[in-house]
Amino acid sequence: MVSVAIIGAGPSGCYTAQALLKVLPDAQIDIFDRLPVPYGLVRYGVAPDHQGTKAVIRQFERLFERQGVGFFGNVTLGEDVALADLQAAYDVVVLAVGLCGDRRMGIAGEDLAGVIGSGVMTRYLNDHPDAEGHVPQIGRDVVIVGHGNVAIDLVRLLVKRDEEFHGSDLSAQSQRVLQDAGPRKITVIGRSPADAARFDPVMLRELGRLEDARLQVIAATGEGKVIDALAAIQGHAPDGARHDVCFRFGWTPQRLLGDQRVTAVEFVATGGVETLTLPCDTVLTAIGFDAGDGLVPMAADDDGFIAPGLYATGWFRRGPRGTIPENRADAQTVAARIADDLGRSPPSGRPGRAAALALFPSAIGFAGWQCIDLAERDQCPPDRCRTKIASRQQMIAIAQSAGATS
Amino acid sequence: MSLVILYGTETGNAEMLAEDIAAHLKLHAPLVANLSDFDPAEFDKSNFYLIVCSTYGDGELPASAKPFAEKMDVSKPDLSGVEFAVFGMGDSEYAETFNFGGKRIEELMTAAGAQLRGVRVTHDASGPDLAEDLAFPWAEALLMQRVGS
Repeated sequence: MVSVAIIGAGPSGCYTAQALLKVLPDAQIDIFDRLPVPYGLVRYGVAPDHQGTKAVIRQFERLFERQGVGFFGNVTLGEDVALADLQAAYDVVVLAVGLCGDRRMGIAGEDLAGVIGSGVMTRYLNDHPDAEGHVPQIGRDVVIVGHGNVAIDLVRLLVKRDEEFHGSDLSAQSQRVLQDAGPRKITVIGRSPADAARFDPVMLRELGRLEDARLQVIAATGEGKVIDALAAIQGHAPDGARHDVCFRFGWTPQRLLGDQRVTAVEFVATGGVETLTLPCDTVLTAIGFDAGDGLVPMAADDDGFIAPGLYATGWFRRGPRGTIPENRADAQTVAARIADDLGRSPPSGRPGRAAALALFPSAIGFAGWQCIDLAERDQCPPDRCRTKIASRQQMIAIAQSAGATS
Repeated sequence: MSLVILYGTETGNAEMLAEDIAAHLKLHAPLVANLSDFDPAEFDKSNFYLIVCSTYGDGELPASAKPFAEKMDVSKPDLSGVEFAVFGMGDSEYAETFNFGGKRIEELMTAAGAQLRGVRVTHDASGPDLAEDLAFPWAEALLMQRVGS
């Protein structure tokens, strides 16, 4: 029997376990995560008002509940265990740790107060334990730099009214931050032309249902589905809307102005000389992710091979591009490669789970997560589907009080 | 009659539901296949087809159903006498294109002459019902009707 350790219980790690069980039904698979809870960006990245997207969790639950996959939560690679030690314990190690750092713009003024990375912002709004206590200060006049779906998520979260969050898992503390912010003007701007923007058209069209925002699209030229979607939402103007959202294209940020707090962003036309200065009190950067202070990506083949017995998948392998299904496809590719490699070079029979149970006696197991899950669903108000526990200590206490370590 | 369950999936949710329906109806010994691996030339009048299909992107078919749609467009099979039913999956957060995937599958099949049995189901990932809670009684009722006819 082959033993497999997958590092990272987000969508890439879970899909890798699922794909491995299809090609290697007898494999003993354990998934490790630095958080006490599983599901990574499905829980902490997919927006709180997109519960339908989170439905993939039902596939992942099945891995742990019925298919024999083990969960070891609250175990950090590089702190609690060295990679070499995991490799000594398991025949195969797959790195699916994602990318947790906000990519920086690399321009002057980036460290001024009021300049916030989208990862920092969404971790707070999604009640991520790393964001505990770091309350983002959002002003009245917001510039969002970036032309991807994260930028659209930020727009929705900033302008939706309370009733528009019914059925979501937005917490009371996040809602308070959003209400206190109450930005009047939001400009979504980036260097690409509109027809090269990375927005998913369906996410743009969804903005056309906002009840409290006027939408304006400037200079969206070209052809394609993104252009069509931008044309469909241009001019959306519900009665009495309190927010103005403006989309602009082809502007490359040059520098941020301000003393303590940011007061404006200067742009230059991409590939041109014309300049644009947007006064603002808050800048949210949504231009992608990098390793940040997490594990530094290692060179891997297109099918995820790093070295014998060591593989990478998901964003950690190929960078911060692609949504959930692309990571599923990537997971299927790495699983096929692992099965192929094992066929040619059978495993030496390392101890796998027995070693992990000895190494991490107080890791949070799946039963521990189920206690946290139940507590989160029990304590939520009637207009919410869940209220996440934002404190790592509290999560661990709930899991341990139930005696539910792995 | 053989029961054949086909699925079109992007994230794996439709695949899981197809497998769950098959497990629920195991007395009928259903065959389960991904639409990406299914050739329209294989449609057989003596079988009954349950097609589970999600919606992805801007109201498009999911990735695994796209090759099937292309084959249908190219080969234009005559499916008269073939009976099928559709369980569509979608997310009402994306209201304008809600359940377009299942709708498109129904259109492809009926345009080729196949006969829809029952009403196409439109499951909502943002709604209160679990997919299997709708799918199991739906599939059972369809099979009862066929036995009765």
